[in-house]
Amino acid sequence: MERREFLQDSAGTLAALAAVSPLLAAAPAARPDLAVVHGPAPDRIVRAAVDALGGIRRFIAKGDVVVVKPNIGWDRKPEQAATTNPEVVATLVRLCLEAGAAKVKVFDRTCNDPRRCYVQSGIEAAARAAGAEVSFVDERRFREVKIPGGVAVQSWPIYIDLLEADKVISAPIAKHHGLARLTLAHKNWMGVMGENRGRIHQRLDVTLVDISTVIRPSLVLLDAVRVLTANGPQGGSLGDVKRLDTVIAGTDPVAIDAYGATLFGLTGADLGCVREGARRGLGVMDLGRLTIRKLEA
Amino acid sequence: MRVRARRVTQGLFLLLFVLLFLQTEQKGADQLGYPVRLFLDADPLLALATFLSAHALAGGFLLSLALAALTAVLGRVFCGWACPLGTLHNLAGALRRWRGPQRVRGWFRAKYLLLVFLLAGSAAGLQLTGLFDPLSLLVRHLALGPYPALNFAANAAQDAVYRADLKPLTGMAEPVFALLKKTVLAFQQPHFAQGALLSALLVAILLLNLGERRFWCRYLCPLGALLGLLGRRALLRREAAEGCNACGACDRECQGGLQASEGNGWIGSECLYCMACDDACPKNAVSFGFGRPAAPALDLGRRRVLLAGGAGVAAVAAARATPAFDGRAQPGLIRPPGARPEPEFLARCVKCGECMKVCTTNGLQPTLFEAGPEGIWSPVLVPVRGYCEFSCTLCGQVCPTGAIRALTPAEKARWRIGTAMFDRGRCLPHAHATPCIVCEEVCPTPVKAIWFEEVQVKDRDGRAVAVKQPHVDLKLCIGCGICEAKCPVADLPAVRVTSIGESRSRTNQLLL
Repeated sequence: MERREFLQDSAGTLAALAAVSPLLAAAPAARPDLAVVHGPAPDRIVRAAVDALGGIRRFIAKGDVVVVKPNIGWDRKPEQAATTNPEVVATLVRLCLEAGAAKVKVFDRTCNDPRRCYVQSGIEAAARAAGAEVSFVDERRFREVKIPGGVAVQSWPIYIDLLEADKVISAPIAKHHGLARLTLAHKNWMGVMGENRGRIHQRLDVTLVDISTVIRPSLVLLDAVRVLTANGPQGGSLGDVKRLDTVIAGTDPVAIDAYGATLFGLTGADLGCVREGARRGLGVMDLGRLTIRKLEA
Repeated sequence: MRVRARRVTQGLFLLLFVLLFLQTEQKGADQLGYPVRLFLDADPLLALATFLSAHALAGGFLLSLALAALTAVLGRVFCGWACPLGTLHNLAGALRRWRGPQRVRGWFRAKYLLLVFLLAGSAAGLQLTGLFDPLSLLVRHLALGPYPALNFAANAAQDAVYRADLKPLTGMAEPVFALLKKTVLAFQQPHFAQGALLSALLVAILLLNLGERRFWCRYLCPLGALLGLLGRRALLRREAAEGCNACGACDRECQGGLQASEGNGWIGSECLYCMACDDACPKNAVSFGFGRPAAPALDLGRRRVLLAGGAGVAAVAAARATPAFDGRAQPGLIRPPGARPEPEFLARCVKCGECMKVCTTNGLQPTLFEAGPEGIWSPVLVPVRGYCEFSCTLCGQVCPTGAIRALTPAEKARWRIGTAMFDRGRCLPHAHATPCIVCEEVCPTPVKAIWFEEVQVKDRDGRAVAVKQPHVDLKLCIGCGICEAKCPVADLPAVRVTSIGESRSRTNQLLL
């Protein structure tokens, strides 16, 4: 997909979403806005969540090149809950391939050494076993993307593989974060941003929303199998990890993050990126206006 | 025939050396899975020097004893058949056509005197042996000089092809580069201080072969000298049969520079056992076989030996009368995790460069004179180049002499290499009413050593701005330097690590 085309599509999606979301709220749709599934087996709850939203074929078409973007940012093990649960990632990969995806790519621009992050997180092995193409981020493969209406940044280099994918699935893990309070779906896009990302911390919430206006995932699945409640985003102490055995799936990152906040005893309004995203009409932060289906699997 | 067998053997050893060299790299697991320091472990000179200077046994002590024993029986076969630097000398020497008889010099004694100098220094606590040991030298110079340069060349070529975006060419080239990346190239471009100097020195040593074949091995190599001493009564000997008419054909081929055709011109300690004379002899009179050792024909001269030994001891005094030994801690001397206290570290470190080669982030860099003249090319962490990865213990695993101890993950998590402190004049939330806190985000200790205080500050227009101002918890900071490496004030970071608080030192401490 060319950039121009991509941007047009993004803008279109954006407009459609802004137009449709109040309607959805007015008339309860057959499909829920969010599926929240609890259960002991990560693969089962992921499948149940996607099914509750209408099944994987709603999001992935035959022949699609799909990017599944987990958080592989830190040199930590799955039980330390700093990186997306490998089984969650693998299940998403399998679902895409079952729906006929031509290729599923998995990558992240890590904060610690990428080789250690990929291995220690268990994601490389799990995703590859599930059939994904797992690669390290190649620093040359970033393309400057214009952000029309960007408040903090008007353009930023974004990873080409993500820009050129037919479909994008965001698979963040829910964690504590010192500056943003929590890192959920919005912050997942830091892993596809090039250059010196440290600078965006000066206006973190606004920048994350700026980036979110140009990356519109087909599906967002928030991993809360284990969540990190303190010393995030990389943790390290098992004492800070809470097992929730939950995943939250939807298509609206604002709604996902607003719900994610409740896992930590907060509300969406406590998170700057959620407020900013809702203010710009990128999604709905008022959980009362959303259809949320809660399941056990 | 013999020469061909020797060359094949040399090739295999060189290949093994290169493979182990390439495997000396982070792969993501906690262990490397290859005995990457095998050659260094087998080196009797490094083992002996470590024993003398640090009164400690090197990790590969037994392996080096085995090589010493082998040499006592077979002579310097290691030099002729296995040494990777020797093989490179052979290749460099082959760049020139050799005609006529060789010049014969008595200078071959120089390497023995160098050996005496180095070992006398070691006995007095000065570890300079690694600078001249051929295996240590080769790993260090390759790792810090030519190998990064090779990577640069390959990456530059790849970038050029990528940018040119020539449809068929770029498409074909990318898989080739991907394969190179998987096999011979580094995961990320290494950059080392003094890389060009170290390359130039290696090239210079190899160019000596254009003056005389195996110049280094004949005149300079202290390991060759040690093996020569060990093997001077070796059972494997060169023999000339009745048919020898002293035609000198063997002399022209001799890699040790010997004049074996003349009566007692063959010197066991100088023979590299390359077998070239055996193949060269037109009468087929030369052979190698087991026999009774002849009297050693190696006279170094008592005065010269005493002088070299004395110089070695005197060098210790000269080296120590420098600022590095004035008793003050050096703020920038951030040694790798697991490094021994500085005097013992210096007594052990042979500057082989393994730790710098394997360092995950390229943060370990060679010193010049920061650690005194004897510390030249020893490893020091430069956090702006690369921080110390929290869960990585590879530098200690590859160290051949235990200058850096192999830490367990639990030990590593608590090991301090220094302490970070803020430069509030440069820090965004402290001085510029701007949120940031990247340092806190990346701080890896399970309870973060960097904490922040939420404060209201005023900007230029007097507007209140809420910022989180970072502080270091001195009790928790391990000095890994990731805060410094990732600080958005990228040129001179607003948080910097110095060596104070390092676990290895009793005196370089801050807190009561």
